[in-house]
Formats: sequence, structure tokens, C-alpha cells
Amino acid sequence: MSSRVRHLTEERLFDVYLAERAAEPVDPPAAEHLADCEACGTRYAELVSMMGNVRREGDAETDAIFTADRLRAQQLEIARRIALVGRPARVLSFPKRIVRRTITASSSRTAPRWIAAAAAAGLFVGVAVGASYQFRWGLSPYRTAAPFVASGSATPRTARLTPVATRGGGQADVAADDAFLSDLEIALDRPRTRELLAFDDFTPHVREIRDQR
Amino acid sequence: MNGDFRPARGSDVPAGPPADGLEPAAGVVPPAGRVRRAPAPLDDDSKLAIEIRGLVDRGEMDEARERFGELVAMHQRRATRIAYQYLRDAADADEAVQDAFVKVFSHITTYREAWPFEVWFTRILINGCLDRRKARGRRDRWFVGDEPTSADEARASAASPSGNPEHRLLARERRAKIAAAVDRLDGRQRTVFMLCHYGDCTPREVSAMTGMNESTVRVHLFRAARRLRTLLGGKP
Repeated sequence: MSSRVRHLTEERLFDVYLAERAAEPVDPPAAEHLADCEACGTRYAELVSMMGNVRREGDAETDAIFTADRLRAQQLEIARRIALVGRPARVLSFPKRIVRRTITASSSRTAPRWIAAAAAAGLFVGVAVGASYQFRWGLSPYRTAAPFVASGSATPRTARLTPVATRGGGQADVAADDAFLSDLEIALDRPRTRELLAFDDFTPHVREIRDQR
Repeated sequence: MNGDFRPARGSDVPAGPPADGLEPAAGVVPPAGRVRRAPAPLDDDSKLAIEIRGLVDRGEMDEARERFGELVAMHQRRATRIAYQYLRDAADADEAVQDAFVKVFSHITTYREAWPFEVWFTRILINGCLDRRKARGRRDRWFVGDEPTSADEARASAASPSGNPEHRLLARERRAKIAAAVDRLDGRQRTVFMLCHYGDCTPREVSAMTGMNESTVRVHLFRAARRLRTLLGGKP
């Protein structure tokens, strides 16, 4: 009688639901009460309906997303992944070509270093030789004549000397030449300033004294 | 209360119980009021798992892989349902299921027949899903959360038996509401509800998977159902 008076609690209703779902035997008093009590029967029906709806919606959603094709693809992917299980780890070796290229790259990296060193040494030697040559050239007495020679002025010098050499070997000619050169030297030695010419005339020269002797 | 049921120490794969099958794995809270009972007869999947374990032990890997395919086919759909309902993301669920199966094959030698294979496998799967949820939570803290892809939405909409767009829309809203309600459940309540409801596990099996007392599982399950009814607009 008491089972008819006191309705089943929510917990007991849920236990009945779980037992029915798992196909386990239901608590006999609760089953009896459910069979007799309309209110509890309605509550139980609501509970079953709510849980069923939740389950149905969830399953329908999942099944719509995970179609048979997708599950098949998943199976294949799992098979592919487990094919790698238990196999020794494979050490990835770099392709030989790349390794060789790397080695070549490192050796070719040293080559420019030698080239740079050689270029620097060549530059240094060049500058040194050039500097010493310039220094020697600077000391040379032909420093100012060189451009003169290069410009073709050697010919007049030769032309000037040649007549002296080729004009006979007589004593008179030699004396005339000496006189000429002396006059030239005198002319060159004389002061070019007009005011000083008078002083120069009064001044005895070494060559005049030498000539008098 | 995040619903993580892995052992406190050790690998992600839960070790099986000792040979008598009555004690939980190390680190798992032992069920307080658990009754010592005779081991149940092995299911087909458990027998198959033992066979695969033997093949792996003997080094017959190709044969083991072939037989494992049968095991995958047995549990794939159920695993996918659990993972999807847990993660609410098709790509994540796909990867979680794959990872769980690969992990099972990698550690098949640690499987003990004292536990049904389904329990062992589901526990691995759930732990993987929990890891992914945690990772997603960390990610969402810094980035905008991922929206469901339009392809997934389209497929989910197409699941409605009616071709009527209005019905499809209503079905989508209903599912979104249910998903939101399930997502608002407490961590353990959600896990227990998922396993019982979508994974077709009994409270006893959930107890074995989670290490919780069976009566605790029942309480969590009842509270989850009551809260869901409230959230879905039914009577509290």
C-alpha cells in the first residue's frame, strides 16, 4: 500500500531507467509502483523521452558528420599509422648530392679567401715596387729630361753635337768653338738686370785673369 | 573536477589491473564499496585483443595489424560518437579516435584480460579527449575559438530526416541547445554522462573506466540528467 501512496523519487526513477537501458532486472517494488501509479508512469515516460531525444539527436549529428566514407578513411589512416609501430626508427640520411654540394660549398668558400689574399699581396707588392720605382725615378738626373726626350727633343741635342763632331778635327775650329762657348757662358753668366751691368763691367772675372796668364 | 581519470603517475595508457581484476590501476582511486565478483566471460573484442597481444609478443606484426583492423571496425563508430560529443569538433574527434587506436596497438602488450577491452580502450580515448579539451581551453584563452566548419554544419543539417529547411533549422537549433547544455555540465558529470549515454556503458563499466565508485557514478549520472532537464527547459 505504501508504494501506492509515496511516489518514486527522481533517483529511483533514474535507477529504473538505467536498469532498463542495461537490460538488467528492475527493482521489483519500483516496477510494480510504476505499473500502478499513473503520475510516476508519466514522469518516467518524460524522463525516458528526454534522454532518448538527447541520445537520438547526438547520434544523428555524429552519424551525419562521420559518414561511412569518412570512417573508412579513418580506418585506412589508422592502418597506415600502426604500420609504423614496432619498426625501428629510421635515421634520415641526407641525400649524397646535397652533402657533396655542402662540402663543395665549404671548399669553395676557402678558395675566395686565397684569391683575396693573393690579390692583397699582389696589390701590396705592386704598390711597393711602384713606390720604389717612383723613388728611384725621382732621384734620377733625367727626371726632367725624360719628358723632353719622350717628346722628341733628343734630336736637337744630337743635332747640336753632331756638327761639333763632324766639322773637321782642326785646332782652329776647336778654338773657335771654345770661344763661342765662352761667349755663351759669359752671356749667360752676366746679370740680366740692367742696373747691375755697370757693376759687372767693373768687376774682374776669374776667367779674364786666367786668360791674361 | 576536470574529469581527468588517468593515473597520477605513469604513461597516458592506463595499466590493466592485476590478474584478479579486482583492484584498479595504480594511482586510480579504488572503488570503496566494490564487491568481489567472479570474472565475467570475455567479450569477443577482449578475446581478439588477447590474440593480437599474443601475435605482437611473438613478433608476428603483420598478422597483428591485420587482426587489429577488425578491432578498429568493432569500436570505431562508438569511439567516434564519444569523441565527437566530447570535443564537438569533427577534426579533433577524428584525430582523437586515431590516436586512441594507435596508442592501444602500441601498448597492446600491457593489456590484461581482467578488464574488458572496451573499458580499457574507452579510458584511453577519454583521456585523449580530455587532453584535447584542455589544450583547446588553453588555446581559446589566447585566440578566438574555432567555429564549426561549414562542411560539418552542412552535414549535421543534412542529418535531419525531413527535407524541409525549417525542420532542418529547428533540428540544428535543438542539437546546438543540447550540446550547449551538455557542455555546461560539471567535468565528471559530463564524462559520466557521455560514457553512459553515448558510449553505451553501464555504471559499472564507467566505474571501471574512471575509478569512481559505482554508486558515485550513478549519483553523477542522475545529477547530470536532472541538470540537463533543467537546462533543456523541462522540470527541475
